[in-house]
Amino acid sequence: MDWDKALARAREVAEFCAEAGLERYRVSQEDLEIEVRRSSRRVADDAAAPAAARPASGSGLATSNGSVTHEGPAETLLKAEFVGIVRFTHPVVVEGVHLPEGRELAYVESLGIRNPIRVVAPSRVTAVLVSDGQPVEYAQPLFAVEPTT
Amino acid sequence: MSFRKILIANRGEIAVRVNRAAHELGIETVAIFSEVDRGSLHVRYADEAYCVGPGPAARSYLNIPNIISAGLISHADAIHPGYGFLAENARFAEICADHGIAFIGPTPKVIQQMGDKAAAKAIMSAARVPTIPGTDILDSAADAMRAANQLGYPVMLKAAAGGGGKGMREVRGPEDLAHAFATAQSEAEVNFKDGRLYMEKLVARPRHVEVQVLGDRFGDVVHVGERDCSVQKPSHQKLIEEAPAPALSERIRARLHKVAVSAARAVAYTSAGTLEFLVSGDDVYFMEMNTRIQVEHPISEAVYGVDLVKAQIRIAAGERLGFNQSQLHAHGHAIECRINAEEPGAGFVPAAGTLTDVAFPGGLGVRVDSHVYAGLAIPPYYDSLLAKLVVTGSSRNEAIDRMANALRETRVSGVHTTLDLCRAIMNDEAFRAGGVSVEYLPSFAATTAAAT
Repeated sequence: MDWDKALARAREVAEFCAEAGLERYRVSQEDLEIEVRRSSRRVADDAAAPAAARPASGSGLATSNGSVTHEGPAETLLKAEFVGIVRFTHPVVVEGVHLPEGRELAYVESLGIRNPIRVVAPSRVTAVLVSDGQPVEYAQPLFAVEPTT
Repeated sequence: MSFRKILIANRGEIAVRVNRAAHELGIETVAIFSEVDRGSLHVRYADEAYCVGPGPAARSYLNIPNIISAGLISHADAIHPGYGFLAENARFAEICADHGIAFIGPTPKVIQQMGDKAAAKAIMSAARVPTIPGTDILDSAADAMRAANQLGYPVMLKAAAGGGGKGMREVRGPEDLAHAFATAQSEAEVNFKDGRLYMEKLVARPRHVEVQVLGDRFGDVVHVGERDCSVQKPSHQKLIEEAPAPALSERIRARLHKVAVSAARAVAYTSAGTLEFLVSGDDVYFMEMNTRIQVEHPISEAVYGVDLVKAQIRIAAGERLGFNQSQLHAHGHAIECRINAEEPGAGFVPAAGTLTDVAFPGGLGVRVDSHVYAGLAIPPYYDSLLAKLVVTGSSRNEAIDRMANALRETRVSGVHTTLDLCRAIMNDEAFRAGGVSVEYLPSFAATTAAAT
């Protein structure tokens, strides 16, 4: 499949994802695998974003039978509790790596104090949402992880 | 030396106001906000913005570590505290200095001295500033009972760390004292983490008149005239203010100005500050000194043509005031109405909700300081002030008529507001006559509520 077609397909998937109110959706076709994830990092633009871009209550995420097929229900966002500079812990994690329980991914340096960011259970990193040395604000998502038990 | 970047440690209309002053001076700005304030105009107007905590103020706008950290990572060289929150927190001013960030306000020592209302009164008495007869800190309700008998009823209980009408109780007779003492104490405890109370003799039908002062680090002190803030809610929070004070003899006016300047000199004051007085007949009593910019500062700016927030910033940067008393003259008359999200008919209870329609007035001599717009959700956590309408006229009558019309043009819907009450007051004979006392609004609001 050529690049333009792949991009068009990805756009379709993204639109479907938005309409259905899904946070994340993966589809594979022939030699192509597309995963679409809505970034919750764009918090600064949230207020100005059109309402349609957000899940309407009662759709997708909150299906009545509780089975949400396409959303990673166990995915959690590790957020900053403090305003400061995020510093990655070595070895630096990347998307896809598996982490043992308690592993520190990074710390937020705030007024000279290290505030560690850890996983509470064995997990896989599904997204790295910041870069090393970046200033971060309160509640800013730093990493997305899902448990691997 | 001038500042390059200022962090504004506040929210709402005052953060918008400070942002304007900084930008006009060519200084970059950093806003802070809580998770529920992301949509506020104070965030939109700033050059940078950092979320510092969740809705409750204790974890956001009072979160000193996160605020200082935001200042450091944004390389701000000064912090403007606005009013409320950390504005009169001496420890915060010290912490700013410890981190190499200038605090835009007076020295921590003066903040601390004036913040302790009983200590402030003692300092002012020593500087021959007239004060209301009263007591030191009261140890117990029994202690209060003895003091009240000595002073004679009615008396007023006040929080030593108080302000904004919190922890304050009027006591008409001995039968009400124990209850008033307990409730004022717990209110002071909750609001200021300091339950200490003192007592003063209640002054009969007083007017609240305050004097704006400016002092710099070179010992220059000027007054920027007085403001009459007698139109206060039952909680002693101001609703309508005007400058100059109407129906005040020139002798008393001059005396207030003189006393304010000597008081500011007595503490070597180095910022914008306000001395609040009670005026009853020919008697003038010092109440307290506020070591911050005040909500109602625009009316003084309007009649004197001085930008008080810019002056604060320049003074904190070590500059000279740049003008003296003989260059300051009052022109015309200014009035401010506070448009609050609250229900006057229900004891001014704060109202939360989403604003559905917002339209502000305009025209010659009309100023609006606000952070709101249609569609903005008003969170329940903070002060209920939505907008300040400030008008200036060549005379008091013109100012009142201008305000009446500005209020007619103003629309704020979606929450209960003080708009209708302000409209009614502009048309009220007693207000129009001028010189009402602090007892005016509680009775007027009660009558208006009863009539509807």
